[in-house]
Amino acid sequence: MALIETDNLWKTYIMGSEHLHALRGVTMSIEKGEYVAIMGPSGSGKSTLMNLIGCLDTPTKGEYKLNGKTVGNMNDDELANIRNREIGFVFQTFNLLPRASALHNVELPLIYNGTSASERRQQAEEALTKVELSERMFHKPSELSGGQRQRVAVARALVNNPSLLLADEPTGNLDSKTSQEMMKLFNLLHERGNTIILVTHERDIALHAHRVLSILDGQLASDERVAVGERNGASG
Amino acid sequence: MIVVPLIGLAWQALWANKLRSGLTLLGVVVGFTSVMTIISALEGMMGAIEDDLARLGPTTFIVQKWGIVTSEEQWLEVVKRKPFDKETGELISEGCELCETVAYSTGTGTDNVQYRGTNIRDVRVSGTTADYIDIVDLEVSEGRFHSFEDDVYRRHVAFIGDAVRERLYEGLDPIGRDVRIDGVKYTIIGVAKKQGGVFGGDERDSFVMIPFETFTKHYGFRGERMNYFVKAQSLETMDQAMDEVRMILRAKRHVPYDKPDDFAILTADNILEFLNSVTRMFRLGLVGVSSVSVVVGGIVVMNIMMVSVSERTREIGIRKSVGAKQSHILTQFLFEALITTFSGGLIGIIAGFLVAKSLVGMIDVDISPSGLAITLGLSISVGIGVIFGIYPAMKAARLDPIKALSYE
Repeated sequence: MALIETDNLWKTYIMGSEHLHALRGVTMSIEKGEYVAIMGPSGSGKSTLMNLIGCLDTPTKGEYKLNGKTVGNMNDDELANIRNREIGFVFQTFNLLPRASALHNVELPLIYNGTSASERRQQAEEALTKVELSERMFHKPSELSGGQRQRVAVARALVNNPSLLLADEPTGNLDSKTSQEMMKLFNLLHERGNTIILVTHERDIALHAHRVLSILDGQLASDERVAVGERNGASG
Repeated sequence: MIVVPLIGLAWQALWANKLRSGLTLLGVVVGFTSVMTIISALEGMMGAIEDDLARLGPTTFIVQKWGIVTSEEQWLEVVKRKPFDKETGELISEGCELCETVAYSTGTGTDNVQYRGTNIRDVRVSGTTADYIDIVDLEVSEGRFHSFEDDVYRRHVAFIGDAVRERLYEGLDPIGRDVRIDGVKYTIIGVAKKQGGVFGGDERDSFVMIPFETFTKHYGFRGERMNYFVKAQSLETMDQAMDEVRMILRAKRHVPYDKPDDFAILTADNILEFLNSVTRMFRLGLVGVSSVSVVVGGIVVMNIMMVSVSERTREIGIRKSVGAKQSHILTQFLFEALITTFSGGLIGIIAGFLVAKSLVGMIDVDISPSGLAITLGLSISVGIGVIFGIYPAMKAARLDPIKALSYE
């Protein structure tokens, strides 16, 4: 069973009298443990696709199955549950709570699934250690560098052991050196068995993945495997 | 339970914005302080009046001509009533089998009282029988009350209130000294314990009591101003005792069977009931007007919550992206409002009692927070939090995560 299966996925926004088709029938599947990049220029519909995959939104038409469960007809609370347990987000703008410490930011998903305070603390510390930030647990985002902030976000995404790590332009706000480090971290996470979907408009970044899905005008334009030799980064 | 960490989140959000939370809290505190000041002052006053009436004792009733007059028509009717005559008291004590004691009390209104050239005014001079002190809760602090013999032999002895002692005999032992009332000399035999007044005045302690017969000798029998203090044998037979007295008086005064009593029987209960009924609208009005400030406090909370929700749109988006349900967001924001209104209510209630105490708390009015006022006040503070917090909280809970995440 594939982790992600979409069948003829449509998303239509109604703007006054106009119907804007952001997605026009996307069909694809992603297996557990894959490292996939979704690539496309802005306005191609890749963000919409990411929102659907991330269960932030539901499709207008078509079917989306995550872990065999159909997401399309779920209500708000069920979607929240899926986001909490199955998906870890990493955003371009980090999206950390500015007034909370790194530790509290990482604990956040655990608060919403009723994990006890002591376990929250322990799991969040473990996640921060994995991204090598155990030294800076009590720093607020404003006291951390861009790369460190993004690593806090990665720790937060991983703390619940989700089925899927969903990264939306994770290097968009980072300089090239920090971007390289961040991509190394993703490679490492993939090696450890995490399923990663990377949404980007940069081919350079996309080539860290093992498979690249190109989106154009709301449709899947290509689905290519990246041969080992073509891959960026150290991972094999 | 997941609610506990959500309350923690609410608390952190309030703490992160100390000045704003503090000012909002102040708005709520001011509202509750003003209501609680008024409620506790009123409660204290009513309580003092109640305590006062309780001195009468639950089994005692007073028979008099006047009763409680509340209208001009009633006044015109009451004025025409016959005064009591000398035999009335004897008829009651002989005829009423369920009555234990019947004491007489009559007075002049207020009078001048002198000691060695010092003259004080506004002193109530009354003539009472010896058993008056057994019925009314009046305590002797020095000396004694006048006796049955003093009454029979019409002795010139006086029992004075504490304010009279203070004003005429400062630093002296008044027992055995004389006091002049309307030029007649009396010897002081006792001083009453200080009673204190509802509004801190000493009018309740400004009295001189002399034996009933002595009073009658000098002022004549004043049927207009007679009060018969009747003590029933027990609480159970109190109503029957009152009925007995009523029958005796109606027969004595030849009241036709289809006419109402032409005299009044008062009990502590019906005096209190009367006081409550005449002050009810006034009290409700005061509380109602001051309640407006609590509503204003609620509006302040709502206003700040609305600002807070739109400022924290992105935060809400982040929380939703990591799996917060609508109910989680709702709970957090509702608790932010509730913590503010509840703590504001609590502080306001305490402050209100303190303010009331300093305003009205002139010595003797005991303003102690009643359980009802506290419970009610706190429930209202929670209610205000829910009423004014629910809309902003729902607004926050219903935000679309995608829009919230991209909110700048």
